[in-house]
Amino acid sequence: MTATAVRETEPAQRQPAAPAAQSSPLARGRKRLFWPFIAPALVLYVVFYILPTLATAWISLNKWAGAGPMEFAGLDNYRRLLLDPVFQGSFANTLTILFAVGGATFALSFLLTMILRDMAGRKAVRAIIFFPNIISGIVLSILWGFLFQAEGVVNQALRAFGMDDPPNWLGTENLFSVIMIGLVWVQTGFFTTILMAAVDRIPKDLYEVCDLEGANAWQRFRHVTLPLMWDVVGVCAVLWSISAIKIFEFIYAFAGAAGQLPPTKVWNTALYAYAEAFASGVPKYGSAAATGMVMLALVGVLVVLLRRLFRRDTVQF
Amino acid sequence: MAMTRKFPGPSKLLGSPFAWLFALFSVAVAVWMLLTSLKSTRAIFAEPWSLPTTPQWDNYARAWTASDFAGATLNTVILVFGTAVATIALSAPAAYALSRILTRWNSGITAFFALGLGIPSQVIILPLYVMMNELYLVDSLTGLWILYVATSMPFTVFFLTGFFGSLPKELEEAAALDGASANRTFWQIMLPLARSGIITAMILNIIQHWGETLFGLVFLQSEEKATLSLALLGFLQRMQYNGADWGGLFAGVCTVVLPVLACYIWLGRRIIEGMTLGSVK
Repeated sequence: MTATAVRETEPAQRQPAAPAAQSSPLARGRKRLFWPFIAPALVLYVVFYILPTLATAWISLNKWAGAGPMEFAGLDNYRRLLLDPVFQGSFANTLTILFAVGGATFALSFLLTMILRDMAGRKAVRAIIFFPNIISGIVLSILWGFLFQAEGVVNQALRAFGMDDPPNWLGTENLFSVIMIGLVWVQTGFFTTILMAAVDRIPKDLYEVCDLEGANAWQRFRHVTLPLMWDVVGVCAVLWSISAIKIFEFIYAFAGAAGQLPPTKVWNTALYAYAEAFASGVPKYGSAAATGMVMLALVGVLVVLLRRLFRRDTVQF
Repeated sequence: MAMTRKFPGPSKLLGSPFAWLFALFSVAVAVWMLLTSLKSTRAIFAEPWSLPTTPQWDNYARAWTASDFAGATLNTVILVFGTAVATIALSAPAAYALSRILTRWNSGITAFFALGLGIPSQVIILPLYVMMNELYLVDSLTGLWILYVATSMPFTVFFLTGFFGSLPKELEEAAALDGASANRTFWQIMLPLARSGIITAMILNIIQHWGETLFGLVFLQSEEKATLSLALLGFLQRMQYNGADWGGLFAGVCTVVLPVLACYIWLGRRIIEGMTLGSVK
């Protein structure tokens, strides 16, 4: 706030309309608009976002079918989640997506960033690999699943290379791996784009110094690139955590092969929450709400941890 | 000097082809999607990579009439544009106030909006369902529109606050000196000045809702109200009873993807920067 205040006082010396001139009628006229301008968005946000979040926290402490009386259950829903093997599997899958898919995506993004740093056609490559990000998860899932069909393109290619008995990719034992690889394919372009923008800000002469000193590629990355883009990497990690926990459509649409919902082995917590409330016989709002709260807690813990991990003085350059 | 030469050597030799392969893979998937949408189911499996011998426009006809992708497209277009317009109308004034009218509430409220970015939809969807059910707004496109607008608030307000903050103050001050009221300054000076940011926010909003699935799945039930992603899911479901119609399915997939692709070719740079630039600055 102080930084803003300092910036605000500077034009105030020239012009009375600046907000710092508290007493001027103009400033007061502007102040009167503050709440009318903000209120519609704020009310909508509170009614449809904040209050529902609080309501979910309350529902998670009750046994409720969505209608009729609520029955207070304390932490029973959470206890039941802990004991439910399907939830355990879903939670493990969410963590696997977070760390394994995240790790692979970040490694690949770093690699592509370094390759694209001074490559001809970098803008074209960037534009292409970014594109899957703006396509609906359902569509990506259908395309991805179709590539891995028993008679699909992937297996035909494998047969062409001499593998007579290619794996059944969409069987329960392989499906989650197929989903994870697909997620890496979709997400890499997004993070590569952000990292590229961060790398582009690093002055070229730092790399010239590296060359003069005889640093190899890894040393350049470790001692120049990484420290100078550390804060952006932190932002990426937060963005990834939030979006990874929300992943739903890409997994959901794999149901197309098997019925209403995909096999429980590939569920993550987002699917579990949906299934408990909307796709099981009697809606179990209590445990769906508890699952939602677990997801929210996971987001909260990760954001706090990541901010701590990445908090340090940004190198000025 | 030997070291300097050594670095670009192997990394360029292996690096660029790898990057191009990665990109070409996505292009190949897109091309193959288009080809598949014009083939008969038999040809799709028999010769996945060949050009369709006779383009099966019938696939599109089937998808558009029998599975009513036409109706779904109309629903989605109305819903998505309605959402974008209402979202901007509500969030632009808020973002302007948050970035330009300084009170002691600004940073608190901005952070409060940003909080919403971290709340997964699965957390809010149950109470929303109960609430919309009470209001008879389940299975209603109006209800879904309200939800889309409301859930767009955190990101759009956050995005536009940053954008308004980056605009020069001089014009606004000049307008104030000329005696324009703050209200008029906003509508006549700031809004036109912020046009590019507002357009970017609208495009991002449209792209985000074009393929939205979770809310549609939960809040819409009847087939004639389906949005595009629900039409796709419905098609997948019916294929289990009526036999595989992959050509028709891919015609539906293309109906969803091609408008986005056209938009991306036209406005790609703006979309990429809108979605990523905030993270670097």
